[in-house]
Amino acid sequence: MPDLYIFKAQVGMFDPVALQNHNVRIHYLQTVHYRKVDFLEGIPPFQCIDITAGLGLAAVTPSGRAIIVNLEMADNEFGLWRWYPIDDAQIRLYHPAGIAKYQLRNLQVPVDMNILFRDPNLVSTEIAVWQNNRPAAEAVNGHAFALGAVRLIAIGYRFHTVDLESGKEANPELVKAIKMGKEPCTDIWCSGRGIGD
Amino acid sequence: MLLANKEGIVVTGPVVNLAAPGGVATSVIVFTIPVLVGQLVGLKSVKIRKVTLHNNAAGNTTVLLGIGAVGVGIPAILPALDSLNGLTDSYNADEDFPEVESFANIVAWGAVIAAGGTITCQLEVAVIG
Repeated sequence: MPDLYIFKAQVGMFDPVALQNHNVRIHYLQTVHYRKVDFLEGIPPFQCIDITAGLGLAAVTPSGRAIIVNLEMADNEFGLWRWYPIDDAQIRLYHPAGIAKYQLRNLQVPVDMNILFRDPNLVSTEIAVWQNNRPAAEAVNGHAFALGAVRLIAIGYRFHTVDLESGKEANPELVKAIKMGKEPCTDIWCSGRGIGD
Repeated sequence: MLLANKEGIVVTGPVVNLAAPGGVATSVIVFTIPVLVGQLVGLKSVKIRKVTLHNNAAGNTTVLLGIGAVGVGIPAILPALDSLNGLTDSYNADEDFPEVESFANIVAWGAVIAAGGTITCQLEVAVIG
């Protein structure tokens, strides 16, 4: 069995969390889906959003919350993403759009350009997106001058899955074995979680 | 996975003549921001790395770079750069002026250019995004 798991640190492109025919347990908020990967591919680094939508961001100002539609996936697919900003703002991530990511009791931890020096593998930025479930971001410009844009670069994987609980690929025995811990399965957390939830 | 951050892809702009009599009204584009409309996601910006000026009998003067429209010029994005009559001057971001990032086309103009003279200007920039 390959040594695959989330938040893996290594030199070079990070590993996928599952390979062909691997079982995954997708958690989205309080729902759980048992599925099997039947296709995956790497996604090269790309600019997924300008949070300011081309308008720039005024000095010492937070932006509105922008849904990152380019990180959403098609039906039956989840994406695994690591990301970083290329403009000097602090970024707050939400996933889905109403739930803060990187949320501590007293602070929602922001990400800025220093992430490339402090966490070169971008391990701590890793998120998974289940179908079209709306990752979103806000930018905070702490400078005394306007920023021309606040752009994010993402890199990751696209996974297509089949449903093990219903439909033509249904396999109740396998799902039961996974639940009992008798078959390997990787947990994929595809949302944040509210404090106290 | 230490990825390229603000370094960008280095390209050069066209060789452009700044014409007499100078002033913002004579400002012309010396670098055009790549536009990907109709292609892919990706807002581009540029960071100026080098400015080369060749003074063709324009007299001792200065050259300014700005992000205003053609013929408007301002706001300037760098201090005035000296251009000496008949000489070539070269300025580097690392030593001669601060790093400046622009999201708009960059224009240039001579402060005053002697009649019949020109200043040839070329930028080297790093394209980011």
